[in-house]
Amino acid sequence: MIHKAVAFIKKDFLIESSYKFAFVTRFLGVIITILGYFFIDRLFGSKMTPHLEAFGVTYFPYVLLSNAFFGYVGVGLSSFSQRISNEQVDGTLEAVLVTPTKITTMLVSMTLWNLIMATIDIAVYVAAGIFIFGIDFSNCNILSAMVIFLITILSFSGLGILSASFIIVFKRGNPIGWLIGGLEGLIGGVYFPITVLPGWLQLISYCFPITYAIRAIELAVYKGYGLDRLSFEIGMLIMLSIIILPLSFISFSRALRKARIEGTLSQY
Amino acid sequence: MENLSKEILRLTGVTKDFYPVPPLSKALAFNFKPGKPTRALDDVSFSLENGKILGILGPNGAGKTTLLKILSGIVLPDKGTVTLKGMSFHSDGDRIRSLIGLSAYQEKSFYWRLTGRQNLEFFGALYGLNRKSLLKRLDELFAIFGVTYAEKRFDTYSAGMKQTISIIRALIHDPEVILLDEPTKSLDYSSSLKLMTFLKDDLCKKNGKTILISTHQMNEAFESADKFIFIDLGKVVASGTVPELRQSIKKENASLGEIFIALTSHSKSDTKCGTGS
Repeated sequence: MIHKAVAFIKKDFLIESSYKFAFVTRFLGVIITILGYFFIDRLFGSKMTPHLEAFGVTYFPYVLLSNAFFGYVGVGLSSFSQRISNEQVDGTLEAVLVTPTKITTMLVSMTLWNLIMATIDIAVYVAAGIFIFGIDFSNCNILSAMVIFLITILSFSGLGILSASFIIVFKRGNPIGWLIGGLEGLIGGVYFPITVLPGWLQLISYCFPITYAIRAIELAVYKGYGLDRLSFEIGMLIMLSIIILPLSFISFSRALRKARIEGTLSQY
Repeated sequence: MENLSKEILRLTGVTKDFYPVPPLSKALAFNFKPGKPTRALDDVSFSLENGKILGILGPNGAGKTTLLKILSGIVLPDKGTVTLKGMSFHSDGDRIRSLIGLSAYQEKSFYWRLTGRQNLEFFGALYGLNRKSLLKRLDELFAIFGVTYAEKRFDTYSAGMKQTISIIRALIHDPEVILLDEPTKSLDYSSSLKLMTFLKDDLCKKNGKTILISTHQMNEAFESADKFIFIDLGKVVASGTVPELRQSIKKENASLGEIFIALTSHSKSDTKCGTGS
């Protein structure tokens, strides 16, 4: 499996780096996003609001971390469907599927490059936060942060693979991508803490894994919470992973089988 | 290599229907009843021994490509079974895939921004070849096919170059069964000749490989294949060696082209000669 995963990473690196301008400007986009939030923060006077007291930071550090983290989550959520869709459009999906490569290997390997790039993105966020904007990450509980990253990627990968199943069958139109990618950003605490929302919307937000993930990462990074104090959030994410991951692999296998029966694997 | 003939591939009663995409008006009315299917393959059965070349002939839309897709596991049949060395895709999918090499729709199944070599190294890795044996194999195949352009990007290749890279990909893991869809379509005369000689002499005779070629090139099929199946409207209308096929149309010395026209002018009869095995 490792041999094949490395082949996918190498192939994706060669393709991405062949678009030299996009490769270089990608990181500029991160800086521009950060600057946008920086000036919004200045507009409101960089004050600690009651909504942010739980995390012990002002708006800018909160939103910088949640955005960086949401980008990472996006890898789990959208990479699978995006990669599958790209391979369909390029006509290479069938060529990959005629090789003796297991579906799980193929799916995981296809997204590794995106994961690497998202890791570099998050490093740019953090580096810019420290060196340009002077954000203090000294309280960060690294172990907690790593565990939250890992579990979040796992649970969102399940949702991402479900999305890819829709792409395999319907080619376009991905309800999970829309629901999770769009709605979660709004009500999951990415752009502002969920306490800003009305009560009924807060209740709905607790149905989405991003709410637990964002809260956990903010508390681990800025308040230095250990795993014991984050056990509820981590437990919820693990529970979601346990439910969603097997379900997603089953649904993807079925979607692939359906496409093989209908002869639509290469259609897009 | 000793080339003892042994059945390697068997298709039994393979049937495949494709359903049309319902029009938007139906979907909006929540009418998801499938439309009338098109039968791409109808009860196709044949078997093939190792070390043989089977020519699959038929007019456009006859079902040849669907047949190759089913043989490579990309499309699943609605009815019937495909077994390779006694194994089926249902139970031994990965094992079968490692025994099959497919060259089809050559242009669209490569990464255009990579070089030919980078593409082949990627697919070689997916076939489980380690780097050392992969590079050795590529050098061998590049020498056989006279490939001097492997370091250039795929999108700069001519149609013939793309086709050659596609054939090399089908052979990269030294498969036992090789499926070729119109392998000489974009090749010049000398490259076609070289390829067909290589397939027949080196792969089949010396190494006992089994090859299925779907083609419109009658002369080249006549020269290379040991036996043929003629498909029309999804049905095998005839199968056998050239003498058997000539007998079936009752025309001694008929060319393959004449046999083709006689058999595929929309299947008046369900002519069968020989077993195809």
